[in-house]
Amino acid sequence: DGVAVLPAPQNLSVQSTNMKHVLTWSPVTVPEEIVHYSVEYQGEYESLYTSHIWIPSIWCSPTQRPECDITEDITATVSYSLRVRATLGSLTSAWSTLKHRFNQNSTILTPPGMEITMDGFHLLIKLEDLGPHFEFFVSYWRREPGAKEHIKVVRPGVLPVYLETVEPGAAYCVKARTFVKAIGRHSAFSPTECVKVQGEALPL
Amino acid sequence: QEFQFGPCRVEGVVLQKLWQAFWAMKDIVQAQDNIMSVRLLRKEVLQNVSETESCHLIRALLRFYVNTVFKNYHDKAVEFGILKPFSTLANNFFVLVSKLQASQEKMFSTRKSARRRFLLFYQAFKQLDREAAVTKAFGEMDILLSWMEKFYQL
Repeated sequence: DGVAVLPAPQNLSVQSTNMKHVLTWSPVTVPEEIVHYSVEYQGEYESLYTSHIWIPSIWCSPTQRPECDITEDITATVSYSLRVRATLGSLTSAWSTLKHRFNQNSTILTPPGMEITMDGFHLLIKLEDLGPHFEFFVSYWRREPGAKEHIKVVRPGVLPVYLETVEPGAAYCVKARTFVKAIGRHSAFSPTECVKVQGEALPL
Repeated sequence: QEFQFGPCRVEGVVLQKLWQAFWAMKDIVQAQDNIMSVRLLRKEVLQNVSETESCHLIRALLRFYVNTVFKNYHDKAVEFGILKPFSTLANNFFVLVSKLQASQEKMFSTRKSARRRFLLFYQAFKQLDREAAVTKAFGEMDILLSWMEKFYQL
C-alpha cells in the first residue's frame, strides 16, 4: 500500500474541563486508508515501580478518531504519562508520548449553570449535573440593605434544592460555585441571579 | 470525602473508587489464596487502634503495600488482565502514603505501639512462602479498606 513507515501521531495534548479529560493529537493521514490509533497510560506508581508496563485506555485501544476520552482511565490524583501510536493493517507507528504529564488537579473548573425557580413561596435552585466529583456551594440572600448571606452545600445528585421560604414583594439573589474534593479546588462563582416575588409586601 | 487518621488528614482520594477497583478483581485475586488458616490483617493488628496510633499504622501498612505487595503482585495483575483496577489502587495508595508522610512527622508518642501492630502483620507475612504471602496480602485488601472506612468522612 505504498506506505513503508507509518508516521507517529503528533501534537498530543489534553483538554480537561470539569473533570472530563480528552487527549487529542494530529491525525495521521494515508490517502484512501483508515488509520487506527491506540492509547496507553501510566500513573505515577507505574512510572516509578513498573516503568516497562503501560495500560491500554479503556475506550481507545483501538479508535479511529484522533482523540480519546481518558476520563475513566484517570482514577487517582497523580501525574499520568500518556502515549499514542497509529496502525494501518500490519503497519504500526512509533509511540508518541505526551510531553508534559497530566494531573487531574489541573482541570478547568467553570461556574455551574443554575436555574432559580419558585414553587409557591419556596425559592428553589436547579444546578447543572456535572457528575459525582462535584459539590456545590450556593450563596443566597434577600436583596435589601444589611441582608445576611446564607450558604448551602449541595451534594451531587440532589436536585432541585430548596433554599428558603420567601415573602411577597421581596427580591432574592443567588449565586453558586462548584467544589471538587478529589483535587481540593473550587470554581469561580456563577453570575448572580435575582428574582422578585409576586404580591404586595407585607405591612411592617 | 477525606480520611482523618487521628491528626493526619488526607483529601483527594475517593474511597468508593478504591472499593470499585477491588470488587472488579476480588474473585480472581482471592481464588488464588489457598491458605485458609492464616490471616495477615488479624484482629490484633487492626482492633482497638487509638486515633493517634492510626496514622502511624496506616502509613506503615500502605507503604508496605506499595513497596512490596503491589510490586510483587504486578506480573500476576498483567497475567489476570486486571491492570486497570490494580493501577487505580496502586496510584491511590501512592497518594495516601505521600500525603500521610507530610503530616506524620508531628507525632512520636504512639509510634511504638503502632510499630508493634505492624510487626505482627509483617511477621505473619514473612512466615509464608513469598508468593503465597503476596497473594494473601493482596486478597486481604478488603479487610484493609474496611478498616480505613472507619476513618473516612463524606
